[in-house]
Amino acid sequence: MKKVLSICLFEIRRTFKKKSAFVLMFGMPLLFTFLFGSMFGNDTAVSFRIALVDEDQTSLSKDIIHKLMLDEMITYELVAASEAKELLANKEVQGIVRLEKGIATKLRNEEPAISFQPSPGMATAPLVKQQVNQAMQGVDVYVEAAQVGSLYFNESWESVYERLTENEGQIQVWTEQKTSTSTGNPMMGISYSSAGFSIMFVMIMMLSMTGILLEARQTGIWLRLFTTPVTRLQVMLGYFLSFFIVGWIQFFLLILLSSTLFDVNWGSPVALFLLVTALLLCVVGLGIAIAGFVKTVEQQNAIGTLVIISTCMLGGVYWPISMVPDAMQKIANFVPQTWAMEGFTTLITEGGTIGDILMPIAMLLGFAAIFLSVGLSRMKAV
Amino acid sequence: MLTLSNVKKGFGAHEIIKGISFQVEKGESFGLLGPNGAGKSTLISMICGLLPYGAGEILINGKLVGRHLKETKQIIGVVPQDIALYPTMSALDNLIFWGRMYGLSGNTAKTRAKEVLEEVGLTERAKGRIETFSGGMKRRINIGAALMHEPQLLIMDEPTVGIDPQSRNHILETVKTLNEQGMTVIYTSHYMEEVEYLCKRIAIIDDGKLIVSGTQRDLSNRLAGGRVLKLTVDSLRPSFIEQLKQLNGVEKVIVQPAEEIDVHLQSEMEIVSDVILLASRSGIAIHNMQLKEANLETLFLQLTGRSLRE
Ligand SMILES: Nc1ncnc2c1ncn2[C@@H]1O[C@H](COP(=O)(O)OP(=O)(O)OP(=O)(O)O)[C@@H](O)[C@H]1O
Ligand SMILES: [Mg+2]
Repeated sequence: MKKVLSICLFEIRRTFKKKSAFVLMFGMPLLFTFLFGSMFGNDTAVSFRIALVDEDQTSLSKDIIHKLMLDEMITYELVAASEAKELLANKEVQGIVRLEKGIATKLRNEEPAISFQPSPGMATAPLVKQQVNQAMQGVDVYVEAAQVGSLYFNESWESVYERLTENEGQIQVWTEQKTSTSTGNPMMGISYSSAGFSIMFVMIMMLSMTGILLEARQTGIWLRLFTTPVTRLQVMLGYFLSFFIVGWIQFFLLILLSSTLFDVNWGSPVALFLLVTALLLCVVGLGIAIAGFVKTVEQQNAIGTLVIISTCMLGGVYWPISMVPDAMQKIANFVPQTWAMEGFTTLITEGGTIGDILMPIAMLLGFAAIFLSVGLSRMKAV
Repeated sequence: MLTLSNVKKGFGAHEIIKGISFQVEKGESFGLLGPNGAGKSTLISMICGLLPYGAGEILINGKLVGRHLKETKQIIGVVPQDIALYPTMSALDNLIFWGRMYGLSGNTAKTRAKEVLEEVGLTERAKGRIETFSGGMKRRINIGAALMHEPQLLIMDEPTVGIDPQSRNHILETVKTLNEQGMTVIYTSHYMEEVEYLCKRIAIIDDGKLIVSGTQRDLSNRLAGGRVLKLTVDSLRPSFIEQLKQLNGVEKVIVQPAEEIDVHLQSEMEIVSDVILLASRSGIAIHNMQLKEANLETLFLQLTGRSLRE
């Protein structure tokens, strides 16, 4: 046990000797949190201001406008075309949504009837577009229903549409659906980014930590260790413990810093501790697994960074996962970050307790078990 | 102290160590000589328990390596061929770390580290980071790390490769002193001079086989007259080589690439003039001629037909 601790403490000292470690561990995540977080505004739901131009001026277009305006994430300003241009030029709105003339015909022919023009160079353009599209999907459903209905009732589809939408209850259903899909992540902004970038940079840090195993191989330190009377188990435990502790120090300080700098409230400490522990096990496991398949530290870095960045994207680390198509959301279930983010959002926004995050914790531990067993068996083979 | 009996090792189909036996007594300094790829490092890896051996037995203080790994590893201090230290840490930290790995307590490790720094002559650089050290200084710390637990048996794998003469002398002195203080030493090298200086007994291995072993005196006796005349000629005409072999006092003639001929001489006989005469009669020009005195190098040449260092 003494030897395990010696190895562990030595590696921790070695890690914190590098100045670059501090930048990677704390500087970068805080910077990214700040940049991304402020882009989305404060912790309230994201709000975009969009100019809305009604060129059609029919009851249908008015109805669509009414539905668009129900959306929580986007604030629409109903304005004339010229004014819209001006607002966009003055950067007072992030884009213009235009309901084109003859919208009824166009919709029926499945031609594009609504155009979106984002403000040039706006980083969040895809997000807004996504949001507008989502709002439009609801309208589409009614249009389709009205079309089918018009065949049956032998009347113009506009009147069927009107009758359909007159029914408050149905509109209610529609709006409820909309809100329920977005309540999964009403948290955006700083809190969301804090959790996301803490995860990402802890992963990157753990990747570089597990690189120690490869480095030791390359430098002959690994072999020399085994000329001394230490066992394989002691060496692996020592390394593992050092990865884990460094990961914990990083997470703990990030939590501390983000709650003082950005007022992020991370929720129940005990639940947070368990969640972070499960996440670290999983992330260290991933690092070891990757290390098991490559020969050099450089290879591990290249492959690992690729894996981390892409899975972070899938797992909703940069933006809420509800913003991506359904198929992607399904794939995301196979990415540990998804579960980590779910756990963190539950704790941060809903004041969740341990009971609420059992599922994310279990999933993370499951990933950890898979990664660790793959990694350790590869380590043995090499 | 150390007994190897008929040790074999192969990697896949390749047999690298082909049945080696020797003994090293307590307090001895034992030299292991051989050209690149002879199997020296492989042999050492097996002795210190890094590699399992294919066949045979290795005993350290009567304990079978492999069955009592913990005990045998504690007895040995290994200086690896490559420098295995943490570059960003100080010399002192490195030494303490390796001391801890050998089971020293924190305080003992610290005291020992200072003593070891003294022994390898780097006390002033104790706090310096390894990456700022010269090649020779790194080698000295590399050795120091193996001395932390005062091993009974010190095994060194080419500890002087690629360093300046000053560090080299320092290392040789250090090892000699340690040996005189009672530490058993196994020293691997392909530098003859080092082995001749340090080691009482010597084993030469080549291609995974032990070619010869014995004290320096034994080997010198075997060498009686073991001088070699190295010729560089303009043509390797077979008739000339045949005639060379017939000359009185020639034990063996080995043709080397690049128009070189090694003529192994039997005794103290003067033969140079005969060779010159023969060459001029055969119409062969001798570009260069060198008489090598009997030493381990010429013995190796004699036994294997190859020189120890390329
Ligand atoms: N892990 C391995 N797998 C396959 N072959 C190996 C392995 N390790 C060593 N060898 C081979 O075994 C032979 C002996 O290698 P070894 O390193 O023991 O030689 P050496 O005498 O120490 O040489 P040098 O003087 O260059 O250090 C070489 O031909 C080498 O290619
Ligand atoms: Mg070697």
